[in-house]
Amino acid sequence: MNRSSIISLLVLAAVLGYLLTFGPESTRNLQAGFYQLISPFLSTGSGLEKQISSMRTGLKSLEELERDNATLRVENRSLNATNQALRDVEREVNRLRLALAYRERSVFKLVPAEIVTREASTWWRTVTINRGKQDGIEGDMSVVTEQGLVGKTTTVSDSISVVLLVSDENCKVAANVEGTREQGIVAGERVAGALTPLLDLSFLSKQANLQPGQKVYTSGVGGVFPSGLLVGMVKDYKVRELDGQARLTPAVDLAKLEDVFVVTGRK
Amino acid sequence: MIFFAILLVLVFLAQIVELFIPPLDWMYNAHIYIVPIVVFYGAMALPFPLMLTLAAFAGLLLDALTMQVIGSRVEIALGWSILIYAVLASIMHGLRPLFIRGRWEIHCIMSGVCTSLILLAQYLMITFRRGSILFTPEAWWQIGGPGVIAMLMAPLMFWFLHTIGDATGNPFLPERETY
Repeated sequence: MNRSSIISLLVLAAVLGYLLTFGPESTRNLQAGFYQLISPFLSTGSGLEKQISSMRTGLKSLEELERDNATLRVENRSLNATNQALRDVEREVNRLRLALAYRERSVFKLVPAEIVTREASTWWRTVTINRGKQDGIEGDMSVVTEQGLVGKTTTVSDSISVVLLVSDENCKVAANVEGTREQGIVAGERVAGALTPLLDLSFLSKQANLQPGQKVYTSGVGGVFPSGLLVGMVKDYKVRELDGQARLTPAVDLAKLEDVFVVTGRK
Repeated sequence: MIFFAILLVLVFLAQIVELFIPPLDWMYNAHIYIVPIVVFYGAMALPFPLMLTLAAFAGLLLDALTMQVIGSRVEIALGWSILIYAVLASIMHGLRPLFIRGRWEIHCIMSGVCTSLILLAQYLMITFRRGSILFTPEAWWQIGGPGVIAMLMAPLMFWFLHTIGDATGNPFLPERETY
């Protein structure tokens, strides 16, 4: 091994030693700084992703148009394309109208946000949103949609925030079950094999005997998640050695998230 | 040096692109990783100090963009990914003479294996941190799947990077005589 290799190894060891001494706060700050640095790339990438997906929808509509032409022989290709464009606009208007209605009738102060990237790594279920400190977002704020709970913010930079999804094992939510006095902790699975994973509701009593379809809401215990947010519906229930455990279907389809709201307080 | 700079830029761009590639639901949500292939190519095409720098850059990016700080604890501390990349890239660097002689097969396979090793190392660290060792078939798929994909992508990526290396006159080629 020559001298330059030994020097480079020593430098690497020094850098590693320095980085490994970083505590949670400095790590979070560094991460926020990185996200801020790459936020223009993320915004551009997110825009490109939307254009590509819109192009795919357009291609599908052409296939459908050909089928329609074969059966009906009347529809005009350009008219159909126009209709498709209008349908896209209508869908977006409806989506935004729903979101706006939810924001207005909600008891919480909500900051609307769009998903920029999703599920960036194998072992953590996270998404990034296009809102940050500039919009009043802080760490450990609940993120919701009109359907229910999505997760909570973790790292927050000026214009980008990381949201830990409710389907992550680390996102623990105190919850209670509709129509019962049962309380437990909801957490995701460590390894999820499906795009929409199930959630585990643990620490229930052994006599809980929950039925499929029962709704589970946040209980407000712990302070991060306000009470009354729908977390999911019971899929099945089993009695374990020390407690009862239910598996839940998340209230929100986490694989198809587009717009979310960050809860910044109560109205 | 130009080629090294290009590899740094490619690692950065590949890391951004990875954020937008959805997981493969038909492979138990396995992710597609491009950065390790670029780093492992760099490990063979660059001298040792530059290889370490590239590995450190990729590790820092991976840590900064994917690690999770939950409350008052960091699941995988900043720096671990640099160490993992540096160790694996050093192993690949050891296979450099074979690569320079034009034999790429073993390196393509090793790129896949090393990609899976990165994920395995991360998973082990998470497992020790969270307790209860869980190795479900889904976990194995999520560790092995990206490796298989990397193995399949490696020949094309290597050819692409080799072409850039040639075009920029990367000095590793004249070293051929020394092996």
